Amino acid sequence: MKKILLIATALVFSFGVSKSFADGHGPEVYGPYPITLKGYDGDKTNSVKYTGQMARQVLHDSLKKLVKTGDLEKMMAYYNGEDGLEIIAPKSKDGFPVMQTMVSEIGSGNLSGKMYKGAIPGWGGLTGPETLEHMMQKASEVEGGFDPDTGFDYTQLISKFAMGAVFYNQAVNNYLGKKMKIGEKPNNKPYKDGAYYTGKEHSWDEAFGYWGAPAHSLTLSAEENYNVAKMKDLAAADYNGDGVVDLYSEMLYAHAYYASSYDKGGKTNYLATVNQAFIDGRKVIRDAGGRNLNFEERTEMLAARDTIRENWQKVIAESVFKYAGSTYKDIVALETIMEANGDTTDAFRKYAKHWGELKGFALALQCGPENLGEAAVKMNRMMGFGPVLLNASQVVGVQSNGNFIKDQAQDWGEFKLHMLKIQKLMVDEFGVTARANDQLSAMEDLASTMGSSDSAEND
Amino acid sequence: MEIFSEYLIKIGNQFIDPKKRVFVAYIAISIIIALGWFILNRKLSLKKAIKKIFDKKIFFSKSAKSDYKIFFINQLIMMIVSPLLITQLTIATALYFYFHSIDWLSVGMFKNTLPIIVIICFTSFQFTLDDFSKYIIHRFMHRWPILWSLHKVHHSATVLTPMTVFRTHPLEGIIFSLRSSLTQAVSISSFIFLFGNSVDLLTILGVNIFVFLFNIFGSNLRHSHIGIRYWRWVEYIFISPAQHQLHHSIASEHHDKNFGAALAVWDWLFGSLHHSVEYETLELGIEKNQKDETHNLKDLYINPFIEIKNYILRRLKKLRNKAYSINIKRRIFHEN
Repeated sequence: MKKILLIATALVFSFGVSKSFADGHGPEVYGPYPITLKGYDGDKTNSVKYTGQMARQVLHDSLKKLVKTGDLEKMMAYYNGEDGLEIIAPKSKDGFPVMQTMVSEIGSGNLSGKMYKGAIPGWGGLTGPETLEHMMQKASEVEGGFDPDTGFDYTQLISKFAMGAVFYNQAVNNYLGKKMKIGEKPNNKPYKDGAYYTGKEHSWDEAFGYWGAPAHSLTLSAEENYNVAKMKDLAAADYNGDGVVDLYSEMLYAHAYYASSYDKGGKTNYLATVNQAFIDGRKVIRDAGGRNLNFEERTEMLAARDTIRENWQKVIAESVFKYAGSTYKDIVALETIMEANGDTTDAFRKYAKHWGELKGFALALQCGPENLGEAAVKMNRMMGFGPVLLNASQVVGVQSNGNFIKDQAQDWGEFKLHMLKIQKLMVDEFGVTARANDQLSAMEDLASTMGSSDSAEND
Repeated sequence: MEIFSEYLIKIGNQFIDPKKRVFVAYIAISIIIALGWFILNRKLSLKKAIKKIFDKKIFFSKSAKSDYKIFFINQLIMMIVSPLLITQLTIATALYFYFHSIDWLSVGMFKNTLPIIVIICFTSFQFTLDDFSKYIIHRFMHRWPILWSLHKVHHSATVLTPMTVFRTHPLEGIIFSLRSSLTQAVSISSFIFLFGNSVDLLTILGVNIFVFLFNIFGSNLRHSHIGIRYWRWVEYIFISPAQHQLHHSIASEHHDKNFGAALAVWDWLFGSLHHSVEYETLELGIEKNQKDETHNLKDLYINPFIEIKNYILRRLKKLRNKAYSINIKRRIFHEN
């Protein structure tokens, strides 16, 4: 009798759980979603496809590794997504085997064709592609991707700028922007001739690919997601349990990685929020069943789109905030060493790396749909074209032949203060809340210990 | 509805938050001190001492009733106004930024100081600066006619109860809040800039230890009819309840004396100290035979504005007359 009761309970419980998943109450996975394209008579059953985007994630990771080699030809090959490219990163390692070794096993695509085409005010007003190509050219002229004469760490600059100029730009401006408009990539037609997915389905999927999260990201904690990107948690990554990590659907990259890094601090929930919004929006498209979305459906889909855009922008702003804080700390450390006439080599390298990340993310932030206006001007001016150098000079511009122009630098104290002001700007303009490396948090904590200062009291 | 519950919480907090002057435990301790004072110093029986402390004539006087009403009204006003005021953090951030531009200062220049020393220094500095700023503001409140129009509301109390601390015009409340923000900002920003993240406040029940001590040593008795005096030498350092009561006296010899909050040293340094005196009854308020109307809420809230307007008009008239007489003198000079 007891056994029967147990079995019955287990059945009821499992039914409840599976039902709650089906109803969307449990953590959901992005796809598979059925074919909804009217008139499709092929044998495909899943309309989700973002192979080109994941190929680009891998191209970006590989390009980042290549910067250190200074091999311009190779960098350009990955930038242009040429044929027969080996995956340089992420590569299998002990305890974390990956499924693919060639980019083409994931999909095809390039970074060069998807760059943000507008001017980049923080890099001398060059266009997006010109900026990245200029950076790669310069990286090839120095040792290990770092130029001590200018303080430019090209590994960081190229990687972070590409994340903004390709992934963020393509997702929020193109696939979730232009292609979500009425009449663009309609849902009652295939994305392109011969495709088995509709215009809106595929546009949405491509944006998800650029976000860089594994399809099962919502089933994992922020910490687990983070460890997937760090290639430390095979169990978390290997969702289908085949013993290897599929770089197409089980790996965490770029922006999603940064989101997880902030979320694991517990103050934010960017990764899950964006993932959920991607799933919510995709389900609206699925439920339209291959016809154009009506007003309510469009409203719902666009609400999900806005959630994605807003949180994605915040994730980048969090990085600007974080690295402004790191740079500030590095300057303080450098000042101490300089005062003691010590060896600044390592401290300067660290400072240049953090400044490079700051700069790269700041440029990325400006590749979004909205003109950041004064905030962008302030941000670019405060961090400078280049970092302040130990000989009190600084890169201030770029000549038409691609050479940098150097001039007298801003004062160290002023530059240091600018890092704090950048942090404040990120709070005021974007409402960042994870606030890694917050240089003003000690004051905030102390102020809250002291309590409110309002007092209509006469002592 | 939300505002109403927020308001009730704010009212309740005044009595259950140790950061507040009328926190029930501080009131209870004040009662015990008062009992001790009457029994040991004045040789009264317990019954008589209790009767004296809870004097109905005082707590149910027209003046005291106004204090209670003002308390409820001001809590509401401050609840609305406070979010609009500049916060200590905003000022602290601006100051912290400013310190970066001073050449001879560098961030964290004393960061290797022993944390306990930093904490003690910070707690003492904050308390002293706060107390000094209260002294300065209080002095100005008495000396500047416009400010006196506001501060008069507090001095119009003809009896003192712990709730008289709240008998404050809202505009004066705003000035006090800004003062508090500024002093907190100065201490927070300067200490964090110089000493780094080890700065903290030494607290008991979450309150600055010195403020806590001030409160458990009977801060509520300052506004009471219990004239506890300290030894003469102590009254140079700490203001006794009797010294503050004397500050509320209408006697001309007590005017503009004892502006200090917790410390008497400011009065001593700037020549406004008056030692406590033995008295049976001290006439309190702003003038002899003060009218009952001075406790009307309408008068208490509106009169300061009328007085300020009249003062400004008088000044303008004076200026006009002065300009007129200069013009006449010039004309006479030219005609001659």
